[in-house]
Amino acid sequence: MSEPFGSADPVESRLVEAIPVGDPGAVPASVAFLDGIQRYAVEGRLGLQPIIRGHAAAATVLRVDGELDVLDHASDEFLVTAVQRLSDSQRAALEEVGLPMLDAGVADREHPMLDVRRAALLVERRRARLEAALVGRHVRQRDDTWLVVDGSLPRLENTGPRGRLVGLIKSHETQFLDGSDLRVALTLPEAHRTSVFRRSTPTHEDVYSWYLRLWPWEEQDLLHGLVRVERPAVDESVATATQVSRWLLAERTPLSAPDSRWDRLVYPIQQVEAFLRAQLGSWW
Amino acid sequence: MIKFEDGRTIGRVIATEALPASPHEFHFWTAVETSLGIGAIVRVDDETRTVFAVVIDGRAYSDLSSPLHEVVAAEGDPKSVTAPTRRAEIRLWTAAVLRHEPEEPMQPVPLAGVRVASASDVERALRMDSYVRSESPTAIPIGVYRAAGLKAPVSVDADFVLGPESAHLNISGVSGLATKTSAVEFALTSIFQHFPAAKGSVAALCFNVKGPDLCFLDRPAELNDDDRDLYDVLGVQPVAFDPVHYFAPFKADGVNLNTLRSHPDLVGAVTPLVWGLREVLDYHEVLLSRDDIDAKSDAFLDFLADRVVDKEFRDEWGHTHRVSSFADLERLFRAVFDGLEQAGRGDIWRTHHIATIRKVRNRLLNISTRCKGLVTDDGSASDLPFGAFEDRGVYVLDVSGMDQLGQDLVFTRVVSKLREHLERRELGVDHVIVFVDELNKYAPSDGPETYVRKMLLDISERGRYLGLVLFGAQQFRSQVHRRVVGNAGTAVYGRMDMDELATPGYQVFSPATKIKLATLPKGELMVRHPHFTHPVFVRFPRPPVLSGPDGVKRFPPQTDVPFEDAVVRQLVALDREISPATVVDIIADHHEVDVRRALLATRRTRPDDVLSYFRATLPRAVPHETVTRRGEPLSPLRSSDDPYA
Repeated sequence: MSEPFGSADPVESRLVEAIPVGDPGAVPASVAFLDGIQRYAVEGRLGLQPIIRGHAAAATVLRVDGELDVLDHASDEFLVTAVQRLSDSQRAALEEVGLPMLDAGVADREHPMLDVRRAALLVERRRARLEAALVGRHVRQRDDTWLVVDGSLPRLENTGPRGRLVGLIKSHETQFLDGSDLRVALTLPEAHRTSVFRRSTPTHEDVYSWYLRLWPWEEQDLLHGLVRVERPAVDESVATATQVSRWLLAERTPLSAPDSRWDRLVYPIQQVEAFLRAQLGSWW
Repeated sequence: MIKFEDGRTIGRVIATEALPASPHEFHFWTAVETSLGIGAIVRVDDETRTVFAVVIDGRAYSDLSSPLHEVVAAEGDPKSVTAPTRRAEIRLWTAAVLRHEPEEPMQPVPLAGVRVASASDVERALRMDSYVRSESPTAIPIGVYRAAGLKAPVSVDADFVLGPESAHLNISGVSGLATKTSAVEFALTSIFQHFPAAKGSVAALCFNVKGPDLCFLDRPAELNDDDRDLYDVLGVQPVAFDPVHYFAPFKADGVNLNTLRSHPDLVGAVTPLVWGLREVLDYHEVLLSRDDIDAKSDAFLDFLADRVVDKEFRDEWGHTHRVSSFADLERLFRAVFDGLEQAGRGDIWRTHHIATIRKVRNRLLNISTRCKGLVTDDGSASDLPFGAFEDRGVYVLDVSGMDQLGQDLVFTRVVSKLREHLERRELGVDHVIVFVDELNKYAPSDGPETYVRKMLLDISERGRYLGLVLFGAQQFRSQVHRRVVGNAGTAVYGRMDMDELATPGYQVFSPATKIKLATLPKGELMVRHPHFTHPVFVRFPRPPVLSGPDGVKRFPPQTDVPFEDAVVRQLVALDREISPATVVDIIADHHEVDVRRALLATRRTRPDDVLSYFRATLPRAVPHETVTRRGEPLSPLRSSDDPYA
């Protein structure tokens, strides 16, 4: 559902270069990790109209001395449907369920599958909103603690210090580079990063970013072990890009296997996800 | 890992298809850092009931699904693994249910929070409330349950230790580490202090079968603060036994006692154990091999016991015999053999063939040789005070210096006499605890049927009705007859050998329980008791009496002394005013056998005037003249049969 292309401006060098980062380096003494999940299911239909039950949750865990503890947690459960198409009695019946009802909006014509997809987008946005709320809270309350966010750094409404935020992107659905720059990025050797570039999208914060190869890709897919790192668009982010990259290399251990994304998913983020799934229980 | 904290709740019951919760067993998880361990008692509550359980197994694992993932993460180099995040871990415990409240309907354990048991929970979990809190308590403290910072006394039920419900106690464990003797000494201390008066009187008879183990039960031990604290928790006073009566046979010389309690300060309290023909003949089965003694010999032995011993017996040749000792018996045999030979009447006497008579004679007369020190030729005897046993008295029979045959004889006769007196209610006490170490030697699981083993089986199976209680100890429970250990209502396990734990008798214990048994520190035991659904680990204090090794250090055994000195020492031990020189003068003209008899009588009687009594008991001395050799010694006669003479 992401946009396939985005724009990038050179920051560290005019052309994107592959820069060796060296061996895995020291990790911050205190660092938090944030992730979110969303789930939705068609609970039933009123006529042709699907009734979607959605759940979004996000959590932050703090790592101190190697141990993870839940720091912050938020979740949201709701119903999603095209409210305008419901009769009064149908709306009253849904309200009796006791969950907030969100309006998915209506298209010109009824399309059961597109209605569900529209509801799913709404669930995803709720998840993104919860994540952004937790990031904002962290920035306000614990600006001295690093925070690694699973995915792109959200656009924050408050103007607190963002110097210790790191976004870690595993999927590469949106490409910011092209030509030789893209080739350099996608063929990075193990423990190399690209030079820093600025990426901007309308929905997210302007950030500095670079690609980092966590695991060798030879005899694997081009994207194997490749992550993209986002940092606040400040000079310090460029100066610390190699240091942060070495830290992220150290996060390869412990391996998050048997998760199929183990080459890009760092273990603490996987643990946050496991916590959120466990909280959600077997309802799904 | 994400932690779970909720007040006193330390875990939560889980149930999966593979690990379901049942009425008898369940699984629960705790935080990685927990005070819980194998043997800890926990409780699970829901709205309608409470379940008590004991932890019998524990597992820890992480979310690592394959060891290969660690290898990949370390890129094949174990030294490079410095993970910034610790893997998620779990402590998963298995608990065996001790008790459901209410008992019915019995259902699977609820999937609820798990809490550490309190002291009152321990009482309820082990069903001790029925005899600790009853109107007539019958609790005997046996040890302290210690887990998760809690110390709670654990008691056994006197009705199930000394009868009549069940009885006997058996303790197993490797030598030197299992502290079996100490455990029994502490248990006896506790029983003597807590056995309810309403249940009658109790005494203990201990066979000291090796070293100085039980030689200092009347001497207090030095205890440390930990021990005193345990005594406080258990409500037992750390005092030595009183009274303690020691019995030991003589050595072959007939005057030095065969015991390590021979220090001058202590030996006076040791009574010689001496038996004559009468005491031995009733137990000839112990001494004579069944393979050797046939029905004909048996018949002749019965004839001797019924018609001859301790009776006026007139033979066919006009002699009257009164056989009270082995010496008298030998005179009778001699008279029979001489009479038959002179009369030329063939080889039958009183329907018994002369070969049978000779065989029985040889076997019987040999007994006093084989059990020299215990069995005398002359008929004098010094025995236990059957009929006058004292309440809370301890009677120690030191048979450690005797050979197996002598030990078998002592054991069989003493236990038989106890049984006879208890059956007639004439022992002096209502219950006797008989402590036997090295039970595997006396009641082995295999080997030929022996009189001693039959005796032990009889005590095990019927003793509780009489008040005859067996406290047995052995290294290897598997090597003791299963009916003996099986009838022990209370079983105690100290540090065990892994080979022993691999035998079928221990299959009921979980692997973790076995490991704990194999590594138990001194002073810790596992106790199985009819009221406890599962065995429980307890700690007991060091006994309040001097241990054998400490006793020997403080009271070193005295070396054997010559006959005269031994007589002097024994008389002086009875009366410190006696002059050694006077004793030497008195015995100078007497045969040793007469002196021994007089000494024994004096020790047995313990008169006010020891010396006068001793002198009066001695027969009149026969003056003797020393013949000096005159001239050349005689040369031996030449024998014409000797070609080399």
